[in-house]
Amino acid sequence: MTYRRWYGYLFLLPYLALFGLFLIVPLVYGLGLSLFRWEILSRVPPAFVGLGNFHEALTSDNFWKALWASARFVLMATPLTVGLALLIAVGLHSVGPKRQALYRAAYFIPTMVTISVAGILWRWFFNSEFGVFNALLNALGLPKAPWLTDTGWAMPSIVIMTLWWTVGGPMVVLLAGLQNIAPHYLEAASLDGATPWQRYRYVALPLLRPVLFFVIVMNVIGAFQVFGQTFMITRGGPELSTRSLVQYIYETAFNNYRMGFAASMSWLLFLVIVVISGVQARLMREK
Amino acid sequence: MNHGRRNIARLLAEIGVAVGAAIFLLPLVFLALTAFKPDREILHYTGIAPAHPTLANFREVLGNPEEIPIARWFANSVLISSCVALLVVTVDSLAAYGLARLNLPGKRWVFGLIVATLMVPGQILLVPVYLILNRLGWLDTPLALIVPAGAGAFGVFLLHQFFLGIPRELEEAAMLDGCSPLGIFWRVVLPLSKPALATLAIFTFVGSWNDFLGPLVFLDSVDKYTLPVGIALFQTSYFAEYGLTLAASVLCTAPVLIVFLIFQRHIIQGVALTGLKD
Repeated sequence: MTYRRWYGYLFLLPYLALFGLFLIVPLVYGLGLSLFRWEILSRVPPAFVGLGNFHEALTSDNFWKALWASARFVLMATPLTVGLALLIAVGLHSVGPKRQALYRAAYFIPTMVTISVAGILWRWFFNSEFGVFNALLNALGLPKAPWLTDTGWAMPSIVIMTLWWTVGGPMVVLLAGLQNIAPHYLEAASLDGATPWQRYRYVALPLLRPVLFFVIVMNVIGAFQVFGQTFMITRGGPELSTRSLVQYIYETAFNNYRMGFAASMSWLLFLVIVVISGVQARLMREK
Repeated sequence: MNHGRRNIARLLAEIGVAVGAAIFLLPLVFLALTAFKPDREILHYTGIAPAHPTLANFREVLGNPEEIPIARWFANSVLISSCVALLVVTVDSLAAYGLARLNLPGKRWVFGLIVATLMVPGQILLVPVYLILNRLGWLDTPLALIVPAGAGAFGVFLLHQFFLGIPRELEEAAMLDGCSPLGIFWRVVLPLSKPALATLAIFTFVGSWNDFLGPLVFLDSVDKYTLPVGIALFQTSYFAEYGLTLAASVLCTAPVLIVFLIFQRHIIQGVALTGLKD
């Protein structure tokens, strides 16, 4: 009998093998790695340094600068992305089903474009000399803007591109959430004389809160890992103002081959994400 | 009165939504049209449409397989993405069936662990997975991108929820007829789950097709590249030749958009499901 009960695990075996080898083992291995000084190309064998890598990261300007670049990105991109996604979802919610599918596809299509193509495209739009945006500004008689060449402009430019590239995902989730709300709630509000604004603000939005919360948390987790956009469009410049922490980790591991130090910064970023997700969950429950 | 106001609000909302949708499509229209422009028109912007449309950019991109092995990259991408989709659907459906339907000791605990990893940010796995692949000797081979992709928890979660919704009576009837669990899985559960399996397969395929960080880190030789990394190479090698770069970008994007337009419903359903965990 015991044999028959355990026999079912054969169904799980292929997946659990992959899950173990490429998810659980790397998680633990990465934590172990972060305690070693290990330059993969040098002949010096890995040496245990305890929390040395973490100490080095926390006292290095490069680490804080990269973490701040990622945090700035999150602070700008997440509210704008989720806000715009909600706005589009509410707008789409009031449109008839056929045209709704059409518009929804238009907003979603950019998320299907791979980051290297999206990056090349927007790098060209933003180009100071022959970019499309400055050509349009010029046609309107306005001065050229330093989209990617000024430390104050570069990150907001990346955020604009990110809105275009990523708003489709959260929009689809929020729209599905709105469609999951039983129609009679909204109808009842209408019969009581609520305006469309009031229906959304006081009826739909509170019912949407769990979905909205999920979307915000997932967006923060994703935004903290920003890499492709900055890597393709600015390479982290100007003056490293857009070099995100994931780009710094990438460069540490695969340009400078410092595996232990890179692993320790990965874990620090993970901790930041865990703490922030925890705080968000707490805030959500208190409200 | 109230009715009229609501209609106006509805109309305004739709106008806003339509204008926004057009703005979102505009960058891709720019991409498609500019790829047909000669270089001097790209460098001196005169308008969105090409004044002297030309196929020269495409001819040059496709005509240099030595320098720009774009057909090779395309084949690599097709191979890798198809294998990933097949692997994920196979191992995830088996695992999800076991977790949803079989009476396994400790399965709640196992399922909880799998779902918890949905929150683990991928970047933390990059360095250790690289080192594991290095030890396996899989770096710079398609295996480096195919096999680790099977570890993701999303598909197990998605199919688990779907299988729970299949009426048990069907399986019980099959069991009374002497069907083994594997037989029930193969003859009863899988045929009923075609929509969910298709959603997962397409979703996984597109995700793998568009993956950038993975091939950037795990592949080394230019002829092993996938399309996204190959295209990124343009930015450094053909920096000034925007025409070539944009033509290559069109060739990279068109297949995904065709897949999207055909399977739109499945793809969007897949995204929506990630947010509605009931």
